[in-house]
Amino acid sequence: MVRSVPNTSLQPGDTLPPGITGQVVEFAGFLKTRGYKVFQSSILDSLRSLGNIPLFNRTDFFHALRVNFASSDIEWAQFADLFAEFFRVEKEESQENEQALPSARIDKQEKGPLEETIHEVQTSVCIDTGNGEKRQLEGIAYSPVSRIEKKDLFHLDPKDVKVAQLALKKMMAAFHLALSRRLKKSRKQGNMDFRMVMRKSLKGGGLPYELFFRERKKRLKRLVILADVSGSMDRYARFVMPFLLGLRGVGPRAEVFVFSTSLSRVTALIQHLSIEKALERISEEVPDWSGGTRIGHSLHQFNQAHGSQLLSGRTVVVVMSDGWDLGGKELLRREMAAISRQAHCVIWLNPLAGDPDYRPVCQGMRIAFPYIDHFLPADSLESLNRVGKVLSKVMVH
Amino acid sequence: MGNHFDSIDQVARELAEAHYITDRALATVLFLAHRLEKPVFLEGEPGVGKTEVALVMARLFETSLIRLQCYEGLDATTALYEWNYPKQLLHIRIEEQQKRGKEEIERAIYSQEFLIKRPLLEAIMSTDEKAPVLLIDEIDRSDEEFEAFLLEVLSDFQITIPEIGTLRAGRRPIVVVTSNRTRDVHDALKRRCLYHWIDYPSFEKEYRIIVTRIPDIEEDFARQVTAFMQKIRAVDFLKKPGVSETLDWAQALMTMHHSYLEEEVVDATIGCILKYQEDIKKFKEEIWSHGEERSQYLSSTG
Repeated sequence: MVRSVPNTSLQPGDTLPPGITGQVVEFAGFLKTRGYKVFQSSILDSLRSLGNIPLFNRTDFFHALRVNFASSDIEWAQFADLFAEFFRVEKEESQENEQALPSARIDKQEKGPLEETIHEVQTSVCIDTGNGEKRQLEGIAYSPVSRIEKKDLFHLDPKDVKVAQLALKKMMAAFHLALSRRLKKSRKQGNMDFRMVMRKSLKGGGLPYELFFRERKKRLKRLVILADVSGSMDRYARFVMPFLLGLRGVGPRAEVFVFSTSLSRVTALIQHLSIEKALERISEEVPDWSGGTRIGHSLHQFNQAHGSQLLSGRTVVVVMSDGWDLGGKELLRREMAAISRQAHCVIWLNPLAGDPDYRPVCQGMRIAFPYIDHFLPADSLESLNRVGKVLSKVMVH
Repeated sequence: MGNHFDSIDQVARELAEAHYITDRALATVLFLAHRLEKPVFLEGEPGVGKTEVALVMARLFETSLIRLQCYEGLDATTALYEWNYPKQLLHIRIEEQQKRGKEEIERAIYSQEFLIKRPLLEAIMSTDEKAPVLLIDEIDRSDEEFEAFLLEVLSDFQITIPEIGTLRAGRRPIVVVTSNRTRDVHDALKRRCLYHWIDYPSFEKEYRIIVTRIPDIEEDFARQVTAFMQKIRAVDFLKKPGVSETLDWAQALMTMHHSYLEEEVVDATIGCILKYQEDIKKFKEEIWSHGEERSQYLSSTG
């Protein structure tokens, strides 16, 4: 059988031999445009993997590529479709590769376990042989990641959503790392540093005359999230909420509240759940998702019930809302003033603020404006990226 | 390059012989991980058998299993090594009596005798004939700092202990990393590994697992239990039960001398399967209180 895989001493600049190697590299590039994280090492390792399996077995070929190129549950679930899409097109273009390539379609058997996973996996690519096939594939237009990043979240169509989800995951991972790198070490006393104690005690015959403490690790500010989940916010909430929920693990005990006409504390509800489940639970438990918003009233409830406990110089409050408020002006002003006074910093995320011509014309936004330290748009993945950067600066103690 | 396995077929065969029911995809991962000498990264919902993979690997390779259970706050010391301070202190006091010199004592207390080896160091310093299997369980519960540290260890399998020197593993351990996906593990670690997602099993697979793990069970009963579990997983509970719940439940039922699923039996034992109060409530109100649903759940067709 055709086993044309070279050994791993591929140097950059070498002409890739035709056949499987080139296709694998192209496939990697293809996955990248669909939002996959593709590492150089994955490509090399997938070639090495192929060198170890019987290539004529289509299933093994598929598996060997998947273990190298998929690195998360979402990528795993989408892999089968993308594999089918890529190698089917390839098959059209070059007949001589047909031998080395899997020729039959992916069995129902194979798809079984994958279907049970994330139910969003879209099977829009019809896997049928036939003349109409190529035309069908051309009809589907996926936007590459770069275009999705700037797109308004409100206008993402279902196909873009998957790519956006992957991009969002990538973004959050980077944000976490940036945060932990920037943490300062504090000199407060913490645990005992036994090593030092022992060392120094040798002088005194084993008696620990001098005590040493291990450095206490950095402190992050606590995050308090107040998210507007009323009707107008729904589309944005779908993306900004996962982003915010992903921040739960950052820093000590982040608190999450949602509000529309009134406030609900959801922190405990969603504690150990994954992001998807958390969103579901929130939408089930919280009444009136549709209808208007009473921001002032909700903030008042927050301040009354939790203000003294949660607001301090060590808290960062993140409010996500478009500012459309049905409630009283004075109430909103008073509550915003209270929060601004007590918290270290107030960040307001507004999905409408992405428009460069945006001016806070709606009353709610105008009233709240003076009390906001960072006013940021939250309407695209790009803007969320910026939010992450601001947060990472602000949360370091 | 590992050469214990010749082919994916062989892996699949040996897994079956060791009573681990799985599919060709997992056999492929294990085969490639072995050949390429890369760690395996297993992700999946709780209870689908991730930890079991490491156990079975240890059996297949006839080697020891070293387990590092991750949790929040796990740090390098707890994972790697610590000096036995009390022993050192005692030793100093005793030797001081004997008027030994400071350097001599220092040399003595910083020797391997006073070193408490934690899992990672154990894996590196293993002197077994065959390399051990190192299971790093639930990496998502640890923090990023620990991940970075782990990355260093996994790349060269080499540790420097200041007082002793650099210790290198004679044989690369076979590494299995598991995660419940409660957070995203960093790229750098995943890149180093071959990834595999373990999903909830199909009817056939789950049935075979039950029958293999509980040999005394009657076939029909096993089918009934499997059908029930398959249906329950289709419902949107907060915490879907995994295969471990299936086995626990089946075992519990057998212990209670039941050989058939009935309404009261399920009522009494639902806590084996659903662990959140809301889930149990949802089950009782939305499913179990409707006669038709109930009989569907109690049937033994998949």
